Amino acid sequence: MNRILTITLLLILAFFLFSAVKLDYGRLHPELSEYYISHGIADTGALNMVTAIYLNYRVYDTLGEATVFFATALGVFMLLRKDKEGSADG
Amino acid sequence: MDRISPIVKIFTRKLFPFILLYGCYLISHGHLSPGGGFQGGVIFGSAIILLGLVEGVKLTEKRFKEDFLSLTKNIGMLIFILLGFTGMFFGYSFLSDFLPRGKVGTVPSAGLILFLNLTIGFMVGTGIAVIFYRTVKHGSEE
Amino acid sequence: MALNGISIGIVVVLIGIYGILTKRNIIKMVMSLYIMNSGVVLLFISIGYIVGGQAAIFENAKKVMVDPLPQAVMLTTIVIGLGITSLALALAIKIYDEYKTLNTKKLLEK
Repeated sequence: MNRILTITLLLILAFFLFSAVKLDYGRLHPELSEYYISHGIADTGALNMVTAIYLNYRVYDTLGEATVFFATALGVFMLLRKDKEGSADG
Repeated sequence: MDRISPIVKIFTRKLFPFILLYGCYLISHGHLSPGGGFQGGVIFGSAIILLGLVEGVKLTEKRFKEDFLSLTKNIGMLIFILLGFTGMFFGYSFLSDFLPRGKVGTVPSAGLILFLNLTIGFMVGTGIAVIFYRTVKHGSEE
Repeated sequence: MALNGISIGIVVVLIGIYGILTKRNIIKMVMSLYIMNSGVVLLFISIGYIVGGQAAIFENAKKVMVDPLPQAVMLTTIVIGLGITSLALALAIKIYDEYKTLNTKKLLEK
């Protein structure tokens, strides 16, 4: 019974997802990426376009993501300590 | 079988510096070839994890101390923010790319991207190693 | 429905959702979470594909390039997925320390 409900839900979800992504696969013309590709080397000097995007045009997102990773490592470090009781919330 | 075979031990000991070198190459040539800060940092952390799995965490800790790795991770985050502030001293905005461009195709081109890559690489690499150390030490001293 | 990256990405996301809903072990639920993350990454990178394009790095060839913007965004997504998984596994370790079981049915009774 549980599994029949799950499979029904997944089929409804699959119908919605497949009908939402009706793209012309492989033949789009993204305008912003064409700007990045044509002005990338002149603006940044890097040959790798992906690095030029996430470290020059969108560096603020990389700052946020580095903060999230730093907070995660700090969280694991604090959760798994070996004090007299063991954790940060003891 | 609960003992690691000697082939794995010998090969890991011999290959370990080359894996570290490969990680540093990926980090520093991030703007010229596929790679970058995160990719090279993961390889760096995986090398330390591999050595810790094969030799045991006690022996690995003698060379790569946990306090030092944790300090590197924290200082790496500070340096990232301070690198953002150096642009503001010259009148540009936060985290702007103000260094002069070099010759396209060599390592010291592309301004601030190289330093950001190095900082992110060290932060991610030591962060993954610290997570591994914490997990194993928590389970082995119970 | 054609067999391209978009369809396979959606199928992997659905497999992850099935795993979260059905499994009772906490570690299997965390693995399904990461499978869902991978499915989303595959979906977004496949949307930015251009037929006959080369990778987004400037070499001497002068062909059309694929879209580098979803790849740059998905790099951040992968690292955040790593953070989520490591924190979830640390929480699972603490749950095991406290209650000595990893079964959600038995955990609901405690």
